Amino acid sequence: MSRRVAAIESLLAIALLVVLLVPVAAGQTVWPKGPKLPMAKTWLAEKAKLPPYTPPRTPGGEPDLQGIWDGAGGDNNSYLEDHEYLDDTTPAQESFVSDPPDGKIPYTPWALAKRMEILRSLARGWPGETGERLHVSPGSFCLDYMPVFSFDAHEIVQKPGYVVMLSNEAYRVIPTDGRSAISQNAKFWLGTSRGRWEGNTLVVEVTSLNGKGWFDSTGQFYSENTRMIERWRLADANTMDYEVTVEDPTIYTRPWKMNFPRRRAGTGRGPRGVTAVSDPTAVEDQRYAKEFWETGCYEGNAHTIEVTRSLGFKWFSGVTPPK
Amino acid sequence: MRRGFAALTVGVAALCMLAPASVVGQTSPAAPYVPPRTADGQPDLQGVWQVLNTAAWDLEDHGARLGVPAGRSVVEGGAIPYQPAALARKKENFEKRASLDPETKCFHPGVPRITYMPYPFQIVQQADKVSILYEYLHTVRYVYMNGNPHPRGQIEWWMGDSRGRWEGNTLVVDVIHFTDRTWFDRAGNFHSSALHVVERYTPTGPDHLLYEATIEDPKVFTRPWKISMPLYRRQERNAELFEYECNAYLLEQEWTNPASTFFEKR
Repeated sequence: MSRRVAAIESLLAIALLVVLLVPVAAGQTVWPKGPKLPMAKTWLAEKAKLPPYTPPRTPGGEPDLQGIWDGAGGDNNSYLEDHEYLDDTTPAQESFVSDPPDGKIPYTPWALAKRMEILRSLARGWPGETGERLHVSPGSFCLDYMPVFSFDAHEIVQKPGYVVMLSNEAYRVIPTDGRSAISQNAKFWLGTSRGRWEGNTLVVEVTSLNGKGWFDSTGQFYSENTRMIERWRLADANTMDYEVTVEDPTIYTRPWKMNFPRRRAGTGRGPRGVTAVSDPTAVEDQRYAKEFWETGCYEGNAHTIEVTRSLGFKWFSGVTPPK
Repeated sequence: MRRGFAALTVGVAALCMLAPASVVGQTSPAAPYVPPRTADGQPDLQGVWQVLNTAAWDLEDHGARLGVPAGRSVVEGGAIPYQPAALARKKENFEKRASLDPETKCFHPGVPRITYMPYPFQIVQQADKVSILYEYLHTVRYVYMNGNPHPRGQIEWWMGDSRGRWEGNTLVVDVIHFTDRTWFDRAGNFHSSALHVVERYTPTGPDHLLYEATIEDPKVFTRPWKISMPLYRRQERNAELFEYECNAYLLEQEWTNPASTFFEKR
């Protein structure tokens, strides 16, 4: 083997290492091969059997959704659609997508071609890749964006006129006072959120998205035209029924939904691989088990970011759908 | 007395700028202000707040430079009491501030610096903690009031570990477990990981908090020193936090510039 080939091979090995390490560094579990992890399909079946539930009320008379909620769990949105075991951060798992029933994101033909182009030029070492190694998830850089914020563990706090969602490293403030959305010319990674109560459900409309985030680490994208409508509802005392409808006629053929349960922290009902609030291995003293502790993800991954760029990965600046 | 008068003058001037319709004189020092209470009986400091001074550029007296407005020192006594070697480093930091200031790299800016950056922040109170949500980088600080002491170190957090208590109507926050990688301002004022900050948030009127921070770091300063400044409630009816994702904007700018050496130099 010539030195040149060896050098290229070691470079590729580093590329693989970087991409595989990034999700692990961001708090993901390393998975052995095992049975398919539950997500939307299993939850829809479980939910259909649950008796009706009336949530407690806050002193202000709103449904009381407060408390700390574990994340979606499973492979932590590494791969959104139904898939078999791919590698040790991507175990077999059901789709997050509850509608359409086939669990696939209903891209327009143009958008599907774009999505497949990204998938084929990842550097995951998966079958079908072109080997170009052009794309890496924006999530690898520890940025916060929607709807991924809502997939992870956080606490809900309700106040008159607004709802707050608090996590280890970020937050959302969702006005529920009926204020109008801001101009769609103003774009944000987390968009802007406007909430309202419909019966026992907190409905949150997210607009002004900059379209630069991914739903997972395989290039499932939205655009700056996308609108997300979240529905937060208690299915029982310790289970949040989280549903998000994604609308964007410029890249999807129809609105589609993701739906999965979020379990109340500490109730022991989380799916396997749940993202919990504090890393239990880091918190030896149980007094601190429910505290949010700083993770310094961006600060701690500065070197990974530098290496990823030096290997030639592209920055994902969003898609421009055809007119 | 002179300081009190100066602070009041600045406060009134700011009040006039921010809220022309407000009643001037509500910060009168003669009658201590009694804030409303939350449902569980705490003084209610909740809302969207922002500073109105130039401390983010320089805590001490400074003239104007390109992009930097002049301003008075927020340090009690005017000057920061550096040890001689630390003062030399501060001067070097100042000379190289354009590349050395950690804020230019979009890292979490630390305490107390984040308080006086030109971005709003929101205070949210619960029985067991006071959460401070900053527009800058979606940074969030949890000031735990749950009776837990600071966790055992060694921990080096960008925003430190905050434990709070009420002294009358004042929220007192004890902060330790810092990294040495943050600065106090753009002028190169710095600290070590031995930094200990005690913050005091005192409501002085419905729309004002007095913010004081005592700074102690035996590796850098000859004695503890104190900064103080008013914080103003944002008066817009629709005041809300948006986002300033410094790291995302910086990454995109540098990543897409083929000539950039930012990441190598960082």
